[in-house]
Amino acid sequence: MFIELLFLTSALLTVGSAIGAAVTRNIMHSCVFLLGSLLGIAGLYATLGADFVAVSQIMVYVGGVVILMLFAVMLTGGKDFVSRAQNLLGLAPAMGNKWTYTIGLLTALVVVLTNVKLITNVVKAYPAKVIGNDFPSTVNQIGHLLVKEHVLAFELSSVLLLGALVGAAIIARPRRQG
Amino acid sequence: MMGLASYLIISLILFVVGLVIILSRKNIVAILLGIELVLNAAALNFVAYSRYVTNNLDGHVFSLFIIAIAAAESAIGLAIVIRFFQIKETIHIDEATQLRN
Repeated sequence: MFIELLFLTSALLTVGSAIGAAVTRNIMHSCVFLLGSLLGIAGLYATLGADFVAVSQIMVYVGGVVILMLFAVMLTGGKDFVSRAQNLLGLAPAMGNKWTYTIGLLTALVVVLTNVKLITNVVKAYPAKVIGNDFPSTVNQIGHLLVKEHVLAFELSSVLLLGALVGAAIIARPRRQG
Repeated sequence: MMGLASYLIISLILFVVGLVIILSRKNIVAILLGIELVLNAAALNFVAYSRYVTNNLDGHVFSLFIIAIAAAESAIGLAIVIRFFQIKETIHIDEATQLRN
């Protein structure tokens, strides 16, 4: 019962916040909606029994990426903080114009139609199994997997993170005077 | 109610919303925000398949790598955004025309 409640809450939070992030006019509100969506995804991970991934999601995204985005918005906000672009019929959200939203919605339609067909095939291929609600801790097994089978990817991701850190510091350094 | 199909549908909705944000927004930070949503949809799919189909934890490991790569990508992207703002005084995507001609 608790699991179903958590699933329902997380799903509504995820989908509602994602749609809110797509339709709001203010980029700051959009970032806060992204925060809600990422928290909802962490809840969905929890209902899937992925405790380590859920905690990593909260730590990395909510503690890192969203804060970084809010910093970027505040550092670059200036005059286009709130979009005043002409919107579609006075109803649709701004920050793009009606052509970009039309193209986006057409692409969304194509992607949805393709994916619904794929999902029905997948659901037919894997009929609903009854899976118990016992969630053993995954931390031990993930640790073993990371240093045994996936050790090359693990080390490469550490190099990637170091490169990203140095690269971001170099790219965003203050402009030279003169 | 809870099953593979419901997770796939949530993931599809997230992916489509992220795609609409990427295609329709004109603000570079908003476009990066859409990329985060798309990456999260993919990671959610990995974990859902890992629970309902394969019954091992490789999907979780892959999802962790996706989170790490998304964090690195976001840091680099926002650094580029800040640099672009220092040069052009705006973050409207239509102003990025230095490579034209």
